[in-house]
Amino acid sequence: MSLDYVKFTPGFGKFMPKEYRDMVEHGPFGKKVSVSQVGTFKEILEEHPMCAGCAMTLFIRLAMVAFPNPEDTITVGTAGCGRLAISQAAIPFVYGNYGDQNGVASGLTRGLRLRFGDRPKDVVVMAGDGGMADIGFAQTLHSWFRKEKFTTIMLDNEVYGNTGGQESGMTNRNQVLKMAPLGKKFEKMDMLGMAKVSGCAYVATVVPNNPRRVESVIKKAVLVAREIGPSYIQAYTSCNIEYAIPTDKVMEDAKTVETDRYKFTEYITDEAKEYLSQLYGYKEYLPKPAAAVEKQ
Amino acid sequence: MYLVANIETEICAATSCKLCTQYCPEANTILYDNEAGQDQGFKYGAAYVAVDRCKGCAQCVWVCDNMAKHNAIKMEMIDQIGDTALTENVTYGEKTSSAVLANPVRGQG
Ligand SMILES: Cc1ncc(C[n+]2csc(CCOP(=O)(O)OP(=O)(O)O)c2C)c(N)n1
Ligand code: SF4
Ligand code: SF4
Ligand code: SF4
Repeated sequence: MSLDYVKFTPGFGKFMPKEYRDMVEHGPFGKKVSVSQVGTFKEILEEHPMCAGCAMTLFIRLAMVAFPNPEDTITVGTAGCGRLAISQAAIPFVYGNYGDQNGVASGLTRGLRLRFGDRPKDVVVMAGDGGMADIGFAQTLHSWFRKEKFTTIMLDNEVYGNTGGQESGMTNRNQVLKMAPLGKKFEKMDMLGMAKVSGCAYVATVVPNNPRRVESVIKKAVLVAREIGPSYIQAYTSCNIEYAIPTDKVMEDAKTVETDRYKFTEYITDEAKEYLSQLYGYKEYLPKPAAAVEKQ
Repeated sequence: MYLVANIETEICAATSCKLCTQYCPEANTILYDNEAGQDQGFKYGAAYVAVDRCKGCAQCVWVCDNMAKHNAIKMEMIDQIGDTALTENVTYGEKTSSAVLANPVRGQG
């Protein structure tokens, strides 16, 4: 939880694995890195057992590059595919029981504020659609209504991927899955609407076929959660196994789904706009200059 | 044996694209060497794959063929690929990285 915790005790560096040394010497800690620089610095995400070609994996990778202060970030996850990767990064990871993640993150965020005061410590929840919209629904909504200051990211693959293809509240109507052979009987839940109603200060939808945009929304969501209020990102992260998408067509699918029904959307409160423009130089949120008075 | 991605330096170094580095689902796998190809007169450097981390999904092939439109990446059998980058031979520098090439099956030399 600080720049020092990644460093080696003097004299011990030479006994450490190469990947660890690379991470300390050429990782993103204490530097500004961006998605456009990947491949030239050591990323904090390590090898993990998520499936080849999984879009959720790509999203998690991009999110970790985008964290504004990785050395001061804690991730919270739960059962589901994503935690298999999220837990394999060089930043602390807390495993909430299935569905408990937003409750755990609430306590953690408050504890960190008591301990560290105003020094920003960013808490980011990343969990699947089942964990968030079904089993963890109450805890998710309550954390938003309570205005807990952390970021919630739904890894929305529209299925229970980790347990072999049950429908979730976020699956689309009529979708047939291995464990939903008759097709889903009701609509996809409107978690974006609920995030707005319950008081999130920043809400965005994103698809990982646009890495720069993923970077941009993650940064904004984490910064807004520091001071203004809860933020929510809903990311389409297809499950190529349960939806039988050939791995080399995963980005084609992402593009099609983005165009058809998962367009980029962003909702931000006026307070959050002012904060991002004043403190972090987001020019797009500066108040528009009053139109010059026309000369008579 | 299994397939891994292999990037043709001559094609990649003739562009300044870097697109596939942002689309590989695996971290620290498609890396970028700013100096690759300079001895042949190319100035932009090139991407390369640490094949021991590659899971063979071929997403990078789709991205290079359809988004970048450079057709620089091919999937090849790991035992047929010849010398290539491996994580243990990668060195990071100031805003770049480079690898001493080695055979993924036989090792170095
Ligand atoms: C309390 C509890 N109930 C059930 C499970 C079994 N379980 C593990 S992962 C999972 C489904 C995960 O689906 P989702 O949250 O959508 O994430 P995905 O795997 O699709 O990313 C379930 C039901 C569990 N671990 N704990
Ligand atoms: S089961 Fe689906 S969501 Fe889970 S790692 Fe595999 S492809 Fe990704
Ligand atoms: S997408 Fe193709 S041309 Fe672009 S960096 Fe990758 S290999 Fe090179
Ligand atoms: S085949 Fe997949 S894992 Fe391998 S380099 Fe390409 S995108 Fe990355």
